[in-house]
Amino acid sequence: MFDVDWKGLALPFAYLAVLGGALATFSTIYRKRKAARSANLEPWFGPHVSRDIYLTLLHMLPEDPKDEKATKIPVTMVRAALLRRAIEDLQRLVQIRSAKQACSSLLQRGSVGDDLWQRFQRAESEMQAELQDVVREANALSPQWGQIIFQSANEILLNDRMKEQIDEIQDTVESEKAWWAKRKEEIGSELIKELDESEKSSTTDEAVLVDTPEKKKKVAAKA
Amino acid sequence: MAELTHFDMQPLQLTDDFRAVTIAPSASKPSRSLQAELDALNDLHHKLISSEEGVLPTRVPGPPASIPPKRAQAVTKLRDQANDLYRKGKHVEAQKMYTAGIEMARARPSWQPCAISREELGGLYANRAQAYMAVGQWAEGSVDAQTSAELRKMGNAKAWWRRGKCLMEMGRLEEAGEWVRRALEIEGGEADLRELLEDIEKRLARGKA
Repeated sequence: MFDVDWKGLALPFAYLAVLGGALATFSTIYRKRKAARSANLEPWFGPHVSRDIYLTLLHMLPEDPKDEKATKIPVTMVRAALLRRAIEDLQRLVQIRSAKQACSSLLQRGSVGDDLWQRFQRAESEMQAELQDVVREANALSPQWGQIIFQSANEILLNDRMKEQIDEIQDTVESEKAWWAKRKEEIGSELIKELDESEKSSTTDEAVLVDTPEKKKKVAAKA
Repeated sequence: MAELTHFDMQPLQLTDDFRAVTIAPSASKPSRSLQAELDALNDLHHKLISSEEGVLPTRVPGPPASIPPKRAQAVTKLRDQANDLYRKGKHVEAQKMYTAGIEMARARPSWQPCAISREELGGLYANRAQAYMAVGQWAEGSVDAQTSAELRKMGNAKAWWRRGKCLMEMGRLEEAGEWVRRALEIEGGEADLRELLEDIEKRLARGKA
């Protein structure tokens, strides 16, 4: 009863083995390709120039402060470079925050692909790490600086924008002045013309007055 | 997380006086974005090492909340002097004094709170607009009043009114009407603004008739 016909079962087993093998191969290849694709995903942001500058300057700092031959990068310059990096990070943070809402709703509706969402999430986690890194570096460069570096960066950003805004409006002064000077001239000449015309029309008025009685007479005649 | 450990080395070098960073001449092709960023960096560095206002001994900006009061005092003093001149009818001198105040307020280090700059500059531009209007310089007055309204949108009915008045005086009635209506939305039915709008509309009606 329990006599199994192993030879007869060989074929189904072979079938299962081939099927399993094919699925496993497909799965590994698919996953590898997917991983490769997400690794090659375009980064959300372009090159972070101020970060590159900061790190380059940091590498240019002499390892031994007493070393006379080393390039003398003032440490104040490195600190200023870190502040510039914090400013750029804040701008990116604002961009990411405003993009998040739009991105997730677009993804839910299926208007954008999974790629975009993956790029976005990677950018977000990198941003987090970048901010922490800036705070760490700030604390290393000046005691307790990490607590206030982003506050200062934010004020610099706001002040720069405000100055741009002011300049944009104030730059119109010259053209506005020129326009008004021209317009004033026009108004002046128009006024003179009007005065001339009113003199002329005072003579034509009489002519009209002469006409009217005739018209009236005609009307009266018709009646 | 490859991003965090990787960076692109930039071709940088110090100038001979150790005060600024420039692109090294060995760079294959100078990048414009790099140059712009370096200009901004050198500017910020210069301000940080030469300013005494709210800068810690390590030459980094201190907390924005703690600011030395000197600049604010200087700005107030200039504004008060200008106001005096205006009241005495010396309108052109008052304009110059307001301009000096504006320059003083604008030179406030950028790491200090922007809200303070907005407050100071908003008031000064509005007052200079008034000094321009007193001598019939409507074009300058309208631009200054616009600047002030842009800096302080709320609670700045004077600035809104002044630009409206200037535009009306220059005969730009449509523009003036639009401006004052926007002002009324923001300032919530200020009586002076409503009066000005009525005046503008009357003139518009007369122009069409």
